[in-house]
Amino acid sequence: MAEQTLQSIGLYLPEITLVLALTVIILADLLAERFRNAGGWILLTGLVVAGFFTFRQFGASESIFFDMAAVDTYGAYFKSMILLAAGFVTVFSLRSAELKAYASRVGEYYMLLAGMVLGMLMMVGSTNVLLIYLAFEVTSLSSYVLTGFTKKSPRSTEASMKYIIYGSVSSAVMIYGISLLVGFTGATGIYEINAALSGGIASDQLLLVNLAVLMIVVGMGFKVAVVPFHFWAPDVYEGAPFPVTSILAVGSKIAAFGLLTRFFVITFTTATDGGGAAGWSVVDGIRWDLLLGAMAALAMIVGNLTALRQTNIKRMLAYSSIAHAGYLLMGLVVLTGQGLAAMMFYLFVYLFMNLGAFYVAMLFSNATGAETLADYRGLGHRAPLQAVSLTIFLVALTGLPPTGGFVAKLFLFGAAISAGWIWLVIIAGITTIISLFYYIRVVRVMYFEKPDEGAEPLRFSADTRVVLLLLLIPTLALGLYFSPLMDLSRAAVAIFGF
Amino acid sequence: MDLAAILFYVFALVTIGSAAVVVFSRNIVHAAFSLMFTLMGVAALYVLLYADFLAATQLLVYVGGILILILFGVMLTSQGYTLNFREATVNVVPAGLLSVAAAILLIYAFSTGGWVITEVDERTDTVYDLGMMLMTDYLLVFIVAGVLLLVAIIGAIVMSTRLSVNTED
Repeated sequence: MAEQTLQSIGLYLPEITLVLALTVIILADLLAERFRNAGGWILLTGLVVAGFFTFRQFGASESIFFDMAAVDTYGAYFKSMILLAAGFVTVFSLRSAELKAYASRVGEYYMLLAGMVLGMLMMVGSTNVLLIYLAFEVTSLSSYVLTGFTKKSPRSTEASMKYIIYGSVSSAVMIYGISLLVGFTGATGIYEINAALSGGIASDQLLLVNLAVLMIVVGMGFKVAVVPFHFWAPDVYEGAPFPVTSILAVGSKIAAFGLLTRFFVITFTTATDGGGAAGWSVVDGIRWDLLLGAMAALAMIVGNLTALRQTNIKRMLAYSSIAHAGYLLMGLVVLTGQGLAAMMFYLFVYLFMNLGAFYVAMLFSNATGAETLADYRGLGHRAPLQAVSLTIFLVALTGLPPTGGFVAKLFLFGAAISAGWIWLVIIAGITTIISLFYYIRVVRVMYFEKPDEGAEPLRFSADTRVVLLLLLIPTLALGLYFSPLMDLSRAAVAIFGF
Repeated sequence: MDLAAILFYVFALVTIGSAAVVVFSRNIVHAAFSLMFTLMGVAALYVLLYADFLAATQLLVYVGGILILILFGVMLTSQGYTLNFREATVNVVPAGLLSVAAAILLIYAFSTGGWVITEVDERTDTVYDLGMMLMTDYLLVFIVAGVLLLVAIIGAIVMSTRLSVNTED
């Protein structure tokens, strides 16, 4: 007993580090009142240390805390992505002009950010519905408050209120579904639930089990913001301060996909028949692959078409992230090792290109207050490096070579074609072309429209340029040299038996 | 029908009935007061399932603690403010249709579904078992629940403190 607990603690160090970081920030906030940004630096240190511990978990395959959570390459891959994203967002926060106005309470900001990252780390590792729900709530609660952190802005408060209402309803639906599932199978571990379901579901239980799965799809679909559960995303992304929008769009999406994939693949599929449509056979009655495929297709269509009409840059990126959730979901729909590995690769590239786009938007907003497309007039002449970087990030988001976005889409579409989902790939291809229009529109405004008379070139400090390059180089490098990461993704999905 | 079954239905009715009052009552004090009966009804259901420790905790923490806090909260916030909400109900028809459809589906599924029935066995040392489980199988979730509450407290402080007091503009 005690040995297992001690051994589990040794394998749960990344999460423990973040809890420690959270408490140290609380203490530092009390003791060192004059160093306002101390919280940010403590969190950054915590993230680096957690990253070190996570790095050592690659290649492990352990079940810890009495089968509550798993430590494996899959989890380590997702945790690394989350910690990277959180590290970038912390750096963004230290530079954010929106947060400067709240210097006296920025300590709380970093506490909640630490809590959110902790929740996301637990989400991708948990193998028990109890822990899944708690991790989900830790993440959600901190993101509700962070969204409304800039209290003087009515938009931010409104966004927070909407997020709380949507979020609590969807969590309630999800926990209802989970309770039904637990009620049927008498187990809370996802492997035991799978074993109970694989043992055969009586015909009079089929409806209830399907309802339970549907409710869980609702809750998790909300978190990844996939159509038709996307309504909160544009308002929340627009109202929240830039760093919070970035972590919501990137970190929480990565964590939700990590959780969704582990939970769905282990609970509702049989690993032995190797994926494809047959893989979903544990729960008969509804073609779950078709349902998820339709959700993915809708997300791509609705996200990209609505983004065409947006003039606010944050809203545009919000709709684009809904569309990306659709592309990512394709990897789960096809349910092959190739598809899941492609999804994980895509998430890694998405991290850099999307954070990059948000970072440049934040820099422009810091310097000029720019939020609408019209404010971007002539920025190509006033801030050349930043505008070129934004162009590259947008090209990557579209999925054009020579960026990582192209390779990621190529793998994903290739996996879907080889699994026979031709119609889904056709929709994805068409919507990708549509997305080119609104991404390139930003570039056109920056370069081909003249700046206002007498507008000075914008100045940015050297450290922002370093951060920008740190985001830019992987975006480009992954377009040329991608095989090690792809091999790692493939090794990670091996836990599902593919 | 034996005594336990009769008691179960009585307490179930009390729980659902008072929960309905909480939802539908327009007066916030009435709502808070009937929440007490809901929580006590749930405590009684725990007793019927031989979960005596849980029932006691439910009474102590929820009825004795949280409910009193809610009543104090209602008392200390000015009444004029709470009564003057401008009410607007939108999308009545689609929401109504969706709720009715969901209710019918759930009732149908619940009444026709074959449930797995477990006989409740009488326990003598619940607290010991519970303690052992919290320190072994559920150790991690026990601790994570604590972290969740910490995050919730920080969030509540951020949301409820006034800005004008401590922000330099």
